Amino acid sequence: MKFSVSSSELLKQLQIVGGAIASNPVLPILEDFLFSISNNKLSIAATDLETSISTEIEVMSDADGSVAVPAKILLETLKALPQQPITFSINDENFGIEITSAYGKYRLAGEDGKDFPKIPEPDSVDTIKIQAPALTQGITKTLFATSNDELRPAMTGVYFQIDFNKLTLVATDAHKLVKYTFAEVTSEVSTSFIVPKKALTLLRSALPAGDEVNIAFNKANAFFTFGSTNLVCRLIDARYPDYNAVIPVDNPNTLTLQRTDFQNSLKRIAIYANKTTNQVILNIMDGSLTISAQDLDFSNEATEQLACTFEGDPLNIGFNAKFLIEMLGVLEADEVKIELSNPTRAGILLPTEEPDGEEILMLVMPVMLSN
Amino acid sequence: MDAFYASVEQRDQPELRGKPVAVGGAGMRGVVASASYEARAFGVRSAMPSVTAQRLCPALIFVRSRFDVYREVSQQIRAIFHEYTDLVEPLSLDEAFLDVSENKKGMKSATLIAEEIRRKVKEETQLTASAGVSFNKFLAKVASDINKPDGIKVITPDEALAFLESLPIKKFHGIGKVTAEKMKRMGVFTGKELKALSEIELVTRFGKAGRHYYRIVRADDRRAVNPNRIRKSIGAERTYREDINRIEDMKEKLSYLAGIVFRYMEKSDNYGRTVTLKAKSPDFKVITRSRSFSSEIRDLKLLENITHELILQNREEIPSVRLLGVSISNLSKEIQGEGIQLSFDFGENDEEE
Repeated sequence: MKFSVSSSELLKQLQIVGGAIASNPVLPILEDFLFSISNNKLSIAATDLETSISTEIEVMSDADGSVAVPAKILLETLKALPQQPITFSINDENFGIEITSAYGKYRLAGEDGKDFPKIPEPDSVDTIKIQAPALTQGITKTLFATSNDELRPAMTGVYFQIDFNKLTLVATDAHKLVKYTFAEVTSEVSTSFIVPKKALTLLRSALPAGDEVNIAFNKANAFFTFGSTNLVCRLIDARYPDYNAVIPVDNPNTLTLQRTDFQNSLKRIAIYANKTTNQVILNIMDGSLTISAQDLDFSNEATEQLACTFEGDPLNIGFNAKFLIEMLGVLEADEVKIELSNPTRAGILLPTEEPDGEEILMLVMPVMLSN
Repeated sequence: MDAFYASVEQRDQPELRGKPVAVGGAGMRGVVASASYEARAFGVRSAMPSVTAQRLCPALIFVRSRFDVYREVSQQIRAIFHEYTDLVEPLSLDEAFLDVSENKKGMKSATLIAEEIRRKVKEETQLTASAGVSFNKFLAKVASDINKPDGIKVITPDEALAFLESLPIKKFHGIGKVTAEKMKRMGVFTGKELKALSEIELVTRFGKAGRHYYRIVRADDRRAVNPNRIRKSIGAERTYREDINRIEDMKEKLSYLAGIVFRYMEKSDNYGRTVTLKAKSPDFKVITRSRSFSSEIRDLKLLENITHELILQNREEIPSVRLLGVSISNLSKEIQGEGIQLSFDFGENDEEE
């Protein structure tokens, strides 16, 4: 089998697909790309058995067939080659691969494509459609809040809750929580599932600027399809925590302030906070917010004052500055509203205005101050 | 306290008095926990394998440890300390730092306080104690070993530097055997040679500890006596009579150790996020493997499973063990003076798994 393809076209696709390859795979063949040719179409796939990506490009080929190609060496070769047509010749007996460029020949050992793990096919699935930019937004706004805690698998993914034409994405690590809802969805079902972090990270980098994304899903897997790219991931088989139960409904103290001013102030103050806890203290009174931090180990401390609007009883409350900075970073409004109850209850972070059809709510648990 | 466990045994069993006594297991795998001064004369030391100790001193009498008794004595002496100050930082059951700069009796002399405490300890426990008196923790600790047993040593600010210069390296508290050996090879035998090394040289050679060495040899130790020294880890380990080869047996032992650690966490309401497995092979190779989680481990079964996974993952490296240990660190109460990050209550604990 022999085929020719543009080196840069191929590299572009391989870089998208290659994200699925684990850094330390359980089977040697999982370090490979699966190349399958049928009717002058090259389909490229990679998998870590949890997440798989495949895509297609046009090539000139003399036969159909498949081969597993070592990913690392191929990617390095293509990165080092200026753009040009290259030719792959595959020995049908021993799956040896020979690449021919304008400069010379490169040989590497391949494996039989039939030994490559089967990538799940979408059967008995439900489907929804969503605009790619909206999905990208949704992932960006939630992914950061997921947990790395293997002990609580549900929280290591983003919860997709589909309610006909409304999609709600939820992420939490038990300290912070984001709930993002948007309406630009075409769906005829109402359901929910948890998509793992890795799949969403890959999806975000692969999603095109335009285009519509088709999301198909059954009990075990989700299939994201856009253009000629498919991303399949195993869903997290766990019950998502009852997040609605932790959203306070009657936080009486409302603080309103400029988002970027607040974020920049926190960034400066956090430099002086204890490096393991990132603890900052917000002292809130009518018209003024004092942010302070100290690191007893190094005798570092810092204080800043910000103008704000505050309705409620003066309050002294501690937070992890890193959480607040991240959360403020994904909001887009000029102004944010923070609703608080008392120093041990969750605070709500909201933008004061948001685009039609979008709704975002963030929650953060305080740090209980000693003494 | 002087030869603490051994002295308690000699006090309670008069027939042991004047004889070489070791507290600890006599068996093949036993270790000396404490040796009487009679036994020390033969070179018997604590932490020495019992077999070695017996060889050094054939007449050595092994006595089982009675920790409940030692704990009782420990409480008695701590009560005496607290008559003078509440700034008491226990180092172990039988040893503590006391900051008596301001004391409850309004006494001016730390030396007189030390003598009073030693006298009271003897009256109440019939055991002897030694004291070190100085102006920082490091010097006080070093001083306390100088005139053991039943003695006292005072190091005044005027004497401190000269004292440290003449002090053999192995007597520096905090410089262990291995470091002392390294220093020997560098031509450092006493404080004098240590003092000749620059801070940079010491840090290059010994890392962060190098800075500590640089300071202590200059009598510079600013650590305060901390009455609530926070525990950094909770652990349990056992050396077994026979090497353990079967994975099932290892798991069973690990579950037992996990149980001990877990009950301690429960009792102190201090749960940790990092689990460390320690295993020692028959040829004394030690491996430690840890795993950290972002939330505290509050379930015994889970802790057991983590230790089982850790041993399974390292089976090839260590197929047979003579010792197993489980410890938990990153404890919730560790971070002092800092607040505690609160979590949402999803009511998960009430759910059925």
